[in-house]
Amino acid sequence: MIGAATRTITLTFLLLLAMQAQAQQRPAYRAPRLPGTQTPDLNGIWQAVNSANWDLEPHAAGPSPFPALTGAIGAEPAGQGVVEGGKIPYQPWAAARKKENLEKRLTRPTTHDLNDTTGDPEAKCYLPGVPRATYIGLPFQIIQTARQILLSYEFASATRMVFMDRKPKPPADSWMGWSIGSWEGDTLVIDVTALNDKTWFDRAGNFHSDALHVVERYTPLSPYHLMYEATIEDSKVFTRPWKISMPLYRRMEPNIQSLEFKCVEFSEEFIYGHLVDKPTK
Amino acid sequence: MHRFLARMSALPAAAALMLLAQMPAAGQQAATRATQKKAAPASSRFVVPHTAWGDPDLQGVYTFATLTPFQRPAALAGKDVLTEEEQKALEEQLKQKQEENIATNEHFSYNALWFASDQGRPTGRTSIIIDPEDGRLPPLTERGQKLRVEAQARAATKRIGKDQLVDTWEDISTYNRCLSRAMPRVTQEYNQGAQILQTPGYVTIFYESMHDVRVIPLDGRPHLDSAIRQWNGDARGHWEGDILVVDWTNFSDKQKSDGSAPFGGFPQGNLHVTERFRKSNANTLDYLVTVEDPTIWTRPFTFTLPWRADDPTYRGPDDLFEYACHEGNYRMLENAITAAKAVRAAQAGKK
Repeated sequence: MIGAATRTITLTFLLLLAMQAQAQQRPAYRAPRLPGTQTPDLNGIWQAVNSANWDLEPHAAGPSPFPALTGAIGAEPAGQGVVEGGKIPYQPWAAARKKENLEKRLTRPTTHDLNDTTGDPEAKCYLPGVPRATYIGLPFQIIQTARQILLSYEFASATRMVFMDRKPKPPADSWMGWSIGSWEGDTLVIDVTALNDKTWFDRAGNFHSDALHVVERYTPLSPYHLMYEATIEDSKVFTRPWKISMPLYRRMEPNIQSLEFKCVEFSEEFIYGHLVDKPTK
Repeated sequence: MHRFLARMSALPAAAALMLLAQMPAAGQQAATRATQKKAAPASSRFVVPHTAWGDPDLQGVYTFATLTPFQRPAALAGKDVLTEEEQKALEEQLKQKQEENIATNEHFSYNALWFASDQGRPTGRTSIIIDPEDGRLPPLTERGQKLRVEAQARAATKRIGKDQLVDTWEDISTYNRCLSRAMPRVTQEYNQGAQILQTPGYVTIFYESMHDVRVIPLDGRPHLDSAIRQWNGDARGHWEGDILVVDWTNFSDKQKSDGSAPFGGFPQGNLHVTERFRKSNANTLDYLVTVEDPTIWTRPFTFTLPWRADDPTYRGPDDLFEYACHEGNYRMLENAITAAKAVRAAQAGKK
């Protein structure tokens, strides 16, 4: 009798364990395969829907930088943050630099040196870097073939080529870095190196050096969702690697297509206006 | 035209003929004459590969660079193709010219050395334009002429002596502003690489210069609303046999091709372009383009040039490196605007 009861309890326990293990195994969802391959098909137009581009860390709502000009338009929406553990682990000097970045984020670049060192690169329509391109607020398109994946972002018509079939070496540092992809089950893993030190993570002045190394993971959760995770490592700026994550949503409108946001022309008055002796438009 | 077709020889000619034979609308005349002349010969044994989902496979890394001029030079009037000897002589001459240019460059400006690896080869024709048959752009309409005169007058107001002044960023081309490159892309100075990727329902063209991407839907959907105008327009594609036919509209008037395109300088709002891509051998994608804008040119024109996959400059996708242009443009504009101020100050001092 006792033996039977023990057996039942043990069996139930094992069953529960197995169920739990299964529940933890992501993804329960199996994405359709890319024709001619065994890998998931991630083709489509995707977008983050959050306020990470304002600030990766948890933040309350705030006014626009120019309330007298734009009223409530351009005000900052609140966000629960996308950083695992909430805070970015800055080294002390870097925490001070982040604060300065925030204070000077809309500094107009009245000298070449200032242009190089100060202000949010987004305002200048500079290529947004990784991972910021993912959540800068505009859609991006995954163009996936068996050998390469082209990531095409509306913002600044930025692009990245992800090499899937081999691992060429980066010839130089660049704004969007050098991307080597692989599959871990149904997760697309992209190892990003050779990033320069000129991009930011958000409008709050969160930043990195040229030692930045990003490992991105794109996991299909449903036909309409990807989980995006990025592990960020930069021994010059942070005390340890840290991680952000957020869902990406498939754009579902009929006849959806990527549109142009070639923002250079929207940035020129800001960047070069001080050079010109004319009343601004 | 008959003479033109009769004298086109060898493989590229046959390929162009086949392409021409399938052209509707703008190329109709040429096509009709081409088919009347004779049925297109079986051009080669090359069989176009197909993707896993059955579309002709045009994928690859290409360069559209060529040393053949867009319009036929006056000295070659009446001559549309070069003989093999002439072609060899031309290549030799171009090589010599390049070496001389490198040897005599005292100003350390962009020279042939800088361009050396990205200039392509002559096509064997005397012009990239194949229709009109004189290899020249058609005459301008009244509006076209007026726009040209106005643009020249505008430029003249910015000229002091031999200096073309840059008082503001708007005084330089959208190309130099790192905003856009002329579309459709014809031979340009550098970074003439492009990659084609295909996914079910789409053909994507990724241009190295300006990191521009055209994702072309093949599902027959309508063009964007005419209120949506883009620097790089809006493209819809379909297959005609092995040929990708792309209908291209919705350009912005801001896109003027800047005169940097051989047919440039005009607002592109009314431009209608029909592109045809056809793989004619493992290393060549034939690119045949008909351009029409009845408000600028009195008739459509057609040009063709090869996209080559066997150029050592573009062997693979990692040869298409990031084209960060605007990001490094601060000094250029600072110097240009400062120089303009200095010239104007000197001019004021003289008065």
